[in-house]
Amino acid sequence: MEVNNHAANYLTSRKSVVTVSHLRKIYGTTVAVDDVSFSIAEGEIFGIIGPNGAGKTTTVECISGLRVPDGGSATVYGLSPKNNREELRKSVGVQLQESSLPPRIKVWEALELFASFYSNPVDSRELLESLGIAAKRNSTFKQLSGGQKQRLSIALALVGNPKIAILDELTTGLDPEARRETWGLIERVRDRGVTVILVTHYMDEAERLCDRVALINHGKVIALDTPAALAAKEGGEVHVQFVPSGPVDDKVLTALPGVVSVEHRGNRIVVAGSGDVTTRVLSALLKVGVQASDVQVKSGNLEDAFVKLTQTDDKIVKREVVQQ
Amino acid sequence: MSAQDSNATLQKPSKPFWELVKVQGKLVLREPYSIIFGVALPIFLLLLFGSIPAFGEPISSDTTVTIFDIYIPILMVTVLIMIGLLGLPIPIVRDREIGWLRRISTTPGSPAKLLAAQVTINIILATAGFVILVAGSILIFGVNIVFDIPGFVLSLALATTAMFSLGILIAAVAPSQGAANGMMMALLYPLLFFAGIYVPIQILPSGLQTVASFTPVGAAVKALNSSMTGSFPSFVPLLVMAAYTIFFGYIAVRYFRWE
Repeated sequence: MEVNNHAANYLTSRKSVVTVSHLRKIYGTTVAVDDVSFSIAEGEIFGIIGPNGAGKTTTVECISGLRVPDGGSATVYGLSPKNNREELRKSVGVQLQESSLPPRIKVWEALELFASFYSNPVDSRELLESLGIAAKRNSTFKQLSGGQKQRLSIALALVGNPKIAILDELTTGLDPEARRETWGLIERVRDRGVTVILVTHYMDEAERLCDRVALINHGKVIALDTPAALAAKEGGEVHVQFVPSGPVDDKVLTALPGVVSVEHRGNRIVVAGSGDVTTRVLSALLKVGVQASDVQVKSGNLEDAFVKLTQTDDKIVKREVVQQ
Repeated sequence: MSAQDSNATLQKPSKPFWELVKVQGKLVLREPYSIIFGVALPIFLLLLFGSIPAFGEPISSDTTVTIFDIYIPILMVTVLIMIGLLGLPIPIVRDREIGWLRRISTTPGSPAKLLAAQVTINIILATAGFVILVAGSILIFGVNIVFDIPGFVLSLALATTAMFSLGILIAAVAPSQGAANGMMMALLYPLLFFAGIYVPIQILPSGLQTVASFTPVGAAVKALNSSMTGSFPSFVPLLVMAAYTIFFGYIAVRYFRWE
């Protein structure tokens, strides 16, 4: 709930800094992005999720000015590659998927080089400190581990003091520990006042970090909300499990609003339902004088929502193709 | 580019272009293939040829020109062949293949500046090679070179632009480092042959001499030869080099891809 309010605040009280409107991009005969619209508020971590080939990377490439849209527009603080490419590049820091550095360039050289591109760069020493790779200043790129390379990549995206950082598949290929550390870094980036656009196919990552996520499938936004709201709306039922202190009449539970099913598993009872079913079950038990112990609640998560939404959308798209 | 503050410190390096030259230069020093093949190898050949007694003999009884003298422009063109085929294109293709050019193009520092920096470094390398070759032949081997200065400068400049546009053409059309290496190997031996590194062009059959004179390297050797023996080169080799510069350059610009 707290996450929800957080995101809602961004939407109402902060200005929108990125506006994507009916974006369309075609490569040859392939429609990479069909019709994508969203806006991003200042200071939020905005997630773009979706299956491989859905158009996530192309969307952020249009925002960063690497590609010019075939239709619609993508603007950052009102800037677009069409009207002001230079200014756009100054305000957006980009970490690219599958982009590496020359193997023998040293960490500090890459940072100083990038710093030289901007008129008001941040202190590169401090940046390396805050990203935890200051000790690797004199190492060459090929000597770095996967996690260190990603940190350097973040550093390069931030050294120009951008207002917006685009991070594409940042944690792909990292081990779980390095991923978690990277999450901490991204939150610190936001704390510096940078708006973050995060492209990811890890749902736990989006759930943990993003204020809002846009789910893109077949080049279209099929859902846009906070991760918690998406999980609640589309993630399926909540399952409440408990061991009752005495016998419980199933009717007490099935009569509750929102409850879909009641099941007995050994000495446990599993109640499936939607909405705030946990509170209702527990207070109902209290009323009939039964105590519940070992209570476990499993709610639908973003991954469930992702699978459900994309599968439903795939079916619709398939049907449309057949009809045509 | 934006104006730089006057109180720029080490934390804030000055011009992006020179910063790129510095970094790319360091990378060349760390992976010195272009120095080894483009500069060191021709110097080694100079020392080798200079120490072969027969190379010091006049090529015929009515002249004082020696085989060694003939080889000096050939070695200078060898510098350009190595740099044009290897030193210039390979790092560009690599930087594109690994996504470095693309990465740079998301910043205000453009990949075109990176390309310009790469060209600058290779001009420095080639110039170093020329200076050492010419100075070495004069100072170590006592060769009497009579320069026609305008002719020499013009010949060298056109030879450089022709071979550099070939290098950028390779960088433009090679889809990968492997492909660039393949193109380099395919062109290396014919170019070395027509420059006369195996057999000086002067003693080739006349048909092959004609062919050679219409290659960029053969024309370069011819023009350098004239301008290093006191006369302004004839227009044909100069025009041949200028034509190749325009031709290679046009295709390179047309097909160059940043990613």
